[in-house]
Order: sequence, then C-alpha cells, then structure tokens
Amino acid sequence: MIGQLGIHLLFGIAVASTVVYALSLRQASKGLEQIGRILFRVLTGGLVVSAVALVWLIVTHRFDYTYVWNYSSRELPLHLLVACFYSGQEGSILLWTLLVAAIGSVLQPYARRHGYESSVMVFYGLILSFLTLLMVAKNPFAYYHETFAASGITALDVPENGRGLNPLLHNAWITIHPPILFTGFASMSVCFAFAMAGLLRREYHRWIDIALPWTLFATAVLGFGIMLGGFWAYETLGWGGFWGWDPVENSSLIPWLVVVALVHTMLVQKRTRGLVKTNMILAVISFVMVLYSTFLTRSGVLGDTSVHSFVDPGKFAFWILLIFMLVFTVLGTILVMYRRHDMNVNREEFGFKTREFMLSIGASLTMASAVFVTIGTSWPVIMEVLGLPKVAVAVEFYNQIHRYLVPAVLLVNGISLVVLWRSTSVDRLRRGILPSALVAAVGTIILALFGIRDVWPLALGFAAWFSLAINLREAWRLARSGPAMLGAYVSHTGIALLMFGVICTSSYSSTFHAVLVHGEPKAVGPYTLTYLGKEQVEREFKDREKFRYYVRIERDGQRRVVAPVLYWSDFNQRQSAFLEPGIRWGLINDLYVSPKATGRENVLKATTVMRGTTVPAPVDSALRLTLVRFTMPMEEGPSADGRMQMAGVVQAERNGVTTELRVLTRISTTSAGPAFDPVWVNLPGSTYSIGLTQINRNNDDPSKSTGTFAFYDTSKPMPRAREEFTIEFSDKPLISLVWFGVIAMVAGFGLSIGRAVSALKKKSPLAAGELSPSANVESKIDQAQTTVGDSDKS
Amino acid sequence: MNVNPRMNEAPTPRRFPWKLIIAGVMIVGFTTLGITSLLSSSVEYTNVNRAERLGKTVQIVGTWVKEKGSSYDQYKNVFSFTLRDQDGRIVPVVLNGAKPNNFEIAVSVVAKGRMEGGVFQASSVLTKCPSKYEGQAEQ
Repeated sequence: MIGQLGIHLLFGIAVASTVVYALSLRQASKGLEQIGRILFRVLTGGLVVSAVALVWLIVTHRFDYTYVWNYSSRELPLHLLVACFYSGQEGSILLWTLLVAAIGSVLQPYARRHGYESSVMVFYGLILSFLTLLMVAKNPFAYYHETFAASGITALDVPENGRGLNPLLHNAWITIHPPILFTGFASMSVCFAFAMAGLLRREYHRWIDIALPWTLFATAVLGFGIMLGGFWAYETLGWGGFWGWDPVENSSLIPWLVVVALVHTMLVQKRTRGLVKTNMILAVISFVMVLYSTFLTRSGVLGDTSVHSFVDPGKFAFWILLIFMLVFTVLGTILVMYRRHDMNVNREEFGFKTREFMLSIGASLTMASAVFVTIGTSWPVIMEVLGLPKVAVAVEFYNQIHRYLVPAVLLVNGISLVVLWRSTSVDRLRRGILPSALVAAVGTIILALFGIRDVWPLALGFAAWFSLAINLREAWRLARSGPAMLGAYVSHTGIALLMFGVICTSSYSSTFHAVLVHGEPKAVGPYTLTYLGKEQVEREFKDREKFRYYVRIERDGQRRVVAPVLYWSDFNQRQSAFLEPGIRWGLINDLYVSPKATGRENVLKATTVMRGTTVPAPVDSALRLTLVRFTMPMEEGPSADGRMQMAGVVQAERNGVTTELRVLTRISTTSAGPAFDPVWVNLPGSTYSIGLTQINRNNDDPSKSTGTFAFYDTSKPMPRAREEFTIEFSDKPLISLVWFGVIAMVAGFGLSIGRAVSALKKKSPLAAGELSPSANVESKIDQAQTTVGDSDKS
Repeated sequence: MNVNPRMNEAPTPRRFPWKLIIAGVMIVGFTTLGITSLLSSSVEYTNVNRAERLGKTVQIVGTWVKEKGSSYDQYKNVFSFTLRDQDGRIVPVVLNGAKPNNFEIAVSVVAKGRMEGGVFQASSVLTKCPSKYEGQAEQ
C-alpha cells in the first residue's frame, strides 16, 4: 500500500518540481527556483528510497509482492537478487528513472553554475514526470493478491517461492550490462535539456560548450553498454557472434549513432559557429530516439521479430510510452520552429577542403546509418500500420547498407584529420593523404594475401587502414601536447581496429559441426578435438543439474582444454538444456566450442510422445505409434538386478495392422535424477528396435505425461555405448580486435570529456552575451586560437 | 580536384551549386541503396499456404505440435518438428541446425525458410518465451 501510494506521490512531486521551475523561469524568481530545487531533491531521495525498498523486498523474499514473486526466488545468490531489481519491466523503468534523477542531481548544481538551472531543470523535470507516470502504470510494488485477485487469490495466499530468474541471466553480466546501458540512456536526456534551454534562452552557441561534456559522456557510456551486451552474448549466451542486428540491439544502437553524429556537429559549431539548427534538431532526435527505442522494445510491437522477449506492458503503459515519445517530438519541433529565424545567424558556407565540411559529411553518413537501422527495425511496424502484409528485413539489409556506409565514414574520418578548420592548402592535402593511401594500399594487399578475396571486406580494409594510418600519425604528432588532446585519435583508432576485427571474423572464421565420442580424438578442420568427460558443478543447488564438458583442442603439438557448460534447470522443468560455450581466448584467434547436444537425448533417433496421441515413427513414416498408457512399477515388479521397471504400452500400426508392444525400461535413481535403461523391442515388419529412454511425468495431469522413444537399426551395429557430445566448433580470427577497438573508442571519449571540461573551466562562465549575432565575432576569434588545427597552421 | 579555391570565402550568387549537387547525389544514392536493399532482403511473415505458393524465403509464426514430437539428428545436424501455423495448418519443419534454446517452453516459434516438397526447410527457428527482461532464444 505504502509503496503504491509512494509511487503516485513521486509522480506528483516530479510534476510539482517541473511546474515550480517553469514558474521561476517565467517570473525570474530565485525563491521559486529554490523550491523547485528542493522538490527535485525530494524526488531523487524518494526514488532512492523506492529502489532500496524494492531491493530489500527482493533480498528478504517478500513473495507477497508480484514483482518479487515474478522475478526472483530463494535459490538466487545475493548479487543476482540485486540484479532481479531490474530484470522485469517495472524494475527496469524504476532503474532508468532513478539514474535520470541521479544524473540530474549532478546536473542541477552544474547547470546552476552556468546560470542554466531553471531552464534546464524544467525540461529535465518534465522527462522525470513522464518516467514516474510510467512507474505508476508499471508499479513494482503491486501485491500478489491484487494482481491475481481475479483468480480468487486472497491476501493470505503468499507464494512459497518466486518464479526465479532465467538461468541464462545467472552470471555477472546482468549486474553490469543493464545499469551501464541505462546510465547511457539516462544521460542522453541531459543534452536534450540543454538544447531546449538554449532555445528558451535564445543562447544558440553557449549551450554547446556546456552540454558537450555530457554528450561525450552519454556517447561513451552508451557505446560501452552496447559493447558489453555483445560481449555477453558472445561469452555466455553462445550466440557465436557479438552483433546480430536484432531489434533490441538496434534499438540501443540507433540513439548511439545519432549522438555520435551530434558530438561531431557540436564540435563543428564550437569551432565555426555553423550548424546551429542542425545541432538543435539532432539533440531533439537523439532524445526522441531513446524514447522510440524504449517504445519499440517495451510495447510489444516487435513481438515476433526479436530473439529477446518482453512481456506485453498493457494498454496504459503502451499509451504512456507513445504519448511520452510524441510529446517530446512535438515539444522539440515547436521550439525549434519557433526560433528558426532567430537562429538564422550564420549563413556562412563551409568550403570543401575544411574540417567542418568533412565532419558534416561524416555526421551525415552516421545519420544515414541511423536512419537505415531505424527503418529496418521498424519495418514490420511500418508495414502493419500501412495495412500491408507484415514483412521483416533480413540481416542482409543492414550488411548491404553498411558495406557502403562504413568504408565511406572511415575515409571521411581520415581526410577530416588532414584538413584544417576553415581552409587547407592543396599541398597539405596531398602530403597528408597520399602516404596514408599508400599505407592503406599495402595493408589491403596484405589482407588479400592472407586470403580475404571478396571486394567488400577489402574495401572496408582499405578504408580502415587509411583511417588507422592517419589517426596514428596525427596522434604521434600530438602526443607531446599531453593525452588530453588525443581523445579523438584514440577513439577513431579504436573504430578502425573494430572494423579489422569485423572483417576478419566475418570473412575468415571457420565453423565445423562435430560429434565427439568420449575419449576418441577426432580431426576437425586443422585441429584434433577430444571429449575428455564431464564434471557436475554447482551440486549444492537442487534446482539445477549443471555439467562442465571438457574438450581438448590440439594443433601442432599445442594442447588446450575448454569447458563448455550444459545444464538442466527447473526454470523450464528440465525440458531442454541451457548451453554456454567454451572459449579459448587469444589475441590472434578465439577457439569457440558451442555445445549442441549430448547423449542424454540424442544418441539415437528419438521422438517424444504424449499419452493417448499418435506419431509417425521417425525411422519409418508408414509406421504409426500410439502411446496408450504407462504401466506402473507395481505392475512390472523389479528387474533381475533389482531395478524398478515401468513400460510404455505402444500400439504400432502399419497399413491397418496393429500390434501392441510393451516397451520396458529399467529405472535407477541417481543424484542427477532418474536414469532410464531401455529394454529394446523389435518393431514389427522392420529392422528397427524401439526403446523407452525417458518418462516425463506430468504431475498436474498424469494423462499428459510423455515418453521418449528411441530407435536403432538392428541390421547395423548397435550405436556406440560410449557417451557422445555434439558441438559446433569455430575458429574466429582477430575477434579480440572487436573488444579492444570498442574499449579504445570509449577510452578516447573519456579523454575528450576531460578536455571539454577543462576547456569550459578556462572560459568565464558568464562571458558570452550571445543574443546578437555580431557579438560572436570576438569569441570566434578567441576560439580559433585554441583549436587543435592551430598547431598545424604554424 | 577542380574545386574552386575560393570556396571557403563568403558565398557569391554566381557560384556553381556544388553543395546542392553533393547533397542531391548523396540523397539519391542513399535512397536507391535503401530501397534496393529493402526489396532484396525483406522477408514476409505469412502462413503455410502462401509460403507454398510463393516458394521463396518467408517466416511462419506458429506453435510446435507437441504430440508429434521433435527429433535431432546429431550426425546430420538436422532438427525436425511439426509446426501449426496461425491458420491451423500443420507442416513438418526441418531445421539445419540443433534444437533451438527454450524450444519446449516456447509459446510460439518463428521459422524462417522456404517450402520444398511439402516440408518447410528452415534456416533459423526463433523461439518466443513467456520469459522476462532479456529472456533468450537462439537462432
């Protein structure tokens, strides 16, 4: 009760804070500003209390709360219990809101220092009002008995245990990846709020300087969060790659691409005072795309197209999300339109051989990528809205587009570092570009010699070498000015490295399917693989049965052992195994072993049949098998060696002739549950034998119990008795560059943040009177003297 | 490189509109690229009947017919099961690959592939789970 009231109260405070800040702006009242500030602090405090309360409820297993019941269980260790806080929609919205507020409490004194408090906080408060409204709709503090009141649950019915967390999420990544990603999302609000404040105050240049460190921060954190997601998928989930153009991945990539473009256009405005409107528009788009992404992934509209699944949030939340997005789109558009003539200050055009021109082209290419990814991701929704048959785009769409875009971006990046702000001599252009182009040509030939023969990877390779050569050269020249100057070069070097990783893993990886027999070496490509046996781990948990499968990989006398993991969990009633890959990490290549199947289910051809149903025999479709019933152990008596016995009574029908078979199995109890040892029975009219290899008793409805029947051809030797382990084995060259590349990129942003902050401190915060365009001239000159390009000019 | 060397100076009305041309070329180029890529890589969501008629790669949303079982041939690396599409038509599906994760608990599956001789040859099968936050499935 308190929790639910509290959330409504928080929404009220968020609205009040926004309104008071708005009034203080209107009346230029310091007193009102102070009240707005206090309300904002109360809101932040309230959100912290809510988050702590939710974590507390989860940790103390209060299953009388729906959210706690739905997403946690008693078995989970503490770090996973804490992660349960945001593993459902309600909690993740709370996390997002909390992070927006937390960032806001750093932003508020910062904005105040720059005289922007009310004008920034009014927009920031509006964002928080919508987020808290979403929390009202998706309240994490709903009681179990309220949620299920319709099914006659009363306050006295408290579940014994929760439904638990998907075992695939039981690893450290869930405690790291979502908070970082949400921090990235949350920090995207700041730049938007500053842009809007700039429009309100008619300060079209100053907001750029003040917002730049925040924009860099958002770009770095969101980029890092996206990479962690890819790493998680590769390392734990066994998807085999780091990027699959899945809608959920795309939806975090789109705002990132927009903010990357924005960082560059903001830089152009900082130096040249151009692109004023572009920056306003991009700031609006970057935030709206955060909301659009949230809408796409949380509203259930993309249900069928993603490998990630989200519970339908319900009508109310759906509409709030939609209105949230529309309100900020309309608000941003109206403000930009209203001020469009006022912003029309510098109609100066950029020359071709200037850095500002090249950066604009680069930003356009990045935006083109954002637009295409948005279209591709939204395509099923667009088609549905248009009333056309639902169509999704294949991954090939994104690859095809980026075959052109990425090399172009890398080339433009290289050239943009050669050219100077404002103007460049042809001679400098030649001196800057030709040597790097030569390096790139040699590098591309080397790639070709290593076996990459397709035109697109080679084109991408050329562009990446070109960008790398120029970045390293410029970084080398600037290294003496201290690391703070190197941010951009480090970032772009990272991107070039990332692209090398992409080229090598996508066009040079080799993948093999192999069935390994316990103890028998098997040649797989240039390697020899041996399955050495398995070991049960995490035995202390009764809800799972987890095995490490040891596989030895040998090549040229070098031996490595990797241990993919396969486990059965109560989460899905142990119906199918959860898999984790085994990876031999390396700088040059990764060896990646994905488990596919084990002897437990797949030694022989098998089929699972429910009681009372008929299936064709997998070895002979003319033969139809009906599972009539199971006999009880009492009926069968123990086997000669004292094991319990049960049988499946099966009717085998061929061309109208029916034979009844009694397929016996001997059951022994092991620590890992019952083990079934079938007694093989010949199938009438064939060379096949049938055996009952597993019985899955359905405790709710025994008539729905199933049996798994296996078949083997008696005319051939009996399938191996030894345990088999089926894997997919891949050799992935230079995938390490993907991770190093992204880390370098993020580190570069970090350096740039430091530089942007210190540049801001050097300037007097209240210097520029920017209302009249003419006042800009002096500060323009002032700025021109502190540019990176200056060291080149001299 | 016959670019006007005075390009970086204040604009004069007589100048040839290079900027417009570049912008135009970029827009036209991207639009063409986008449309051709969209056309060549779009995959329709449909039912078995239409998949049969079209004969090209489509996606079918449906459910696994549990009673008919499922089996994985580890030597051929082929997983087969029976799918009921949203109009109730039943079709055998052969997937080139192992059993997808969470197959048994999936509330629905999305098979991508084409009809060949009464069998749906799938290149990927997505499973939709009644799960949470980033509940996973695999291709």
